Amino acid sequence: MTEAGFELTLPATAENVIVVRQAIAGIAEALGLGGSRVADLKTVVTEACNNVVLHAYEGDPGPLQVIAEPGDDELVVQVADEGHGFRPRANEGETSLGLGLPLIAALSDSFEISGGAGQGSRTTVRFGYAPPEPRNNGRPTNVPKELEIALAPGTMVKPVLARVIGVLAARAEFSVDRLADTVLLGDAVSSSSGGDFSDGRVGISIKDGDGTLDVRVGPLVEGGGERLMSEMAVPGAGSLRSLASSMEVTKGETPEGESAEFLIFEVSQ
Amino acid sequence: MASNSGSFAGVRTGELALERNDAGLAVVTVSGEHDLSTAPNLRRRLGRLLDEGTATVIDLSPATFIDSSILGVILDGRRRAADSGIGFAVVHTTGADAVDRVLEVTGLRAELPVHARREEAFTEVSSSGAAPA
Repeated sequence: MTEAGFELTLPATAENVIVVRQAIAGIAEALGLGGSRVADLKTVVTEACNNVVLHAYEGDPGPLQVIAEPGDDELVVQVADEGHGFRPRANEGETSLGLGLPLIAALSDSFEISGGAGQGSRTTVRFGYAPPEPRNNGRPTNVPKELEIALAPGTMVKPVLARVIGVLAARAEFSVDRLADTVLLGDAVSSSSGGDFSDGRVGISIKDGDGTLDVRVGPLVEGGGERLMSEMAVPGAGSLRSLASSMEVTKGETPEGESAEFLIFEVSQ
Repeated sequence: MASNSGSFAGVRTGELALERNDAGLAVVTVSGEHDLSTAPNLRRRLGRLLDEGTATVIDLSPATFIDSSILGVILDGRRRAADSGIGFAVVHTTGADAVDRVLEVTGLRAELPVHARREEAFTEVSSSGAAPA
């Protein structure tokens, strides 16, 4: 803890939450925070303390520890306990967690909860002295039109791709045979070493339409598309390419705007 | 007027006051700071009123702080009232930042809805619930 910091430890009871709240309000006042920021900080710290009071201990209350460390432009508050961690409880009635965590999320600049079963829990909240600038008013700016996966080459590629492609094909109502064909194509991509991919990761985007899956593999290095297609050849049995209704190598751009190659294929019911 | 009161060092801890108007409506005025420690009082007070079928208005205007447990009690009260056909409404005239912000970010100002004037709440209670006793 820094010299300018504050630490308060007290029994985790409902009656003590107001003590923490007032102490934090005192800090906010000393830091010169405006009225609505003080209000938000009081709410955030109260909800973090509520979680400890309601969920950390069974029977007698244990310690509720609150540490506040003022920085140059933000206050970092930690609320910690030595309990058994948050436990999901059905039917809590008046002690619902329902609105507490969303309030912490909505009113702080960032927060994280750490800990685990039997380790106690710690909620760390970062609270800027100035209100946060809403990022695009809470609306996402880059909504993908398709599913995008990037995986480091290795053992996880094949099982992950097989399952994702499998569920998309099933959702598109592929027959069992066509579903198996589609997974085979995914396996062929999975067997690539990763060296053909220009950013070193196996990248695939899949768009599911009406009874079809449009798959784009890449960005690939020059010649990577042709190599992937040639690897689909099955000795004495043609090529897995025939399982797709179309397959081609195209030039395109990476999200960073660099030119790259992509292998594109469509699979249908 | 019944109340639970207490204060220290200039901080008003939670107080509840109950009034009944001429039309038989109950108004529970919530003032000071309310949180987990006072939520059971509010729950009991509301529970008794709804048990006896009394149309109820909760006035949060003098409250300086409310947390999610208080919102939970209000939401439970509204649900119980609706299930039993009893009038129920919430009022918050311009008041403490902490109460304003919580009602705003949770969307409850529009969802409950929260009325800006008691008269509006009385109108809602009278029209939506059973006839007051």
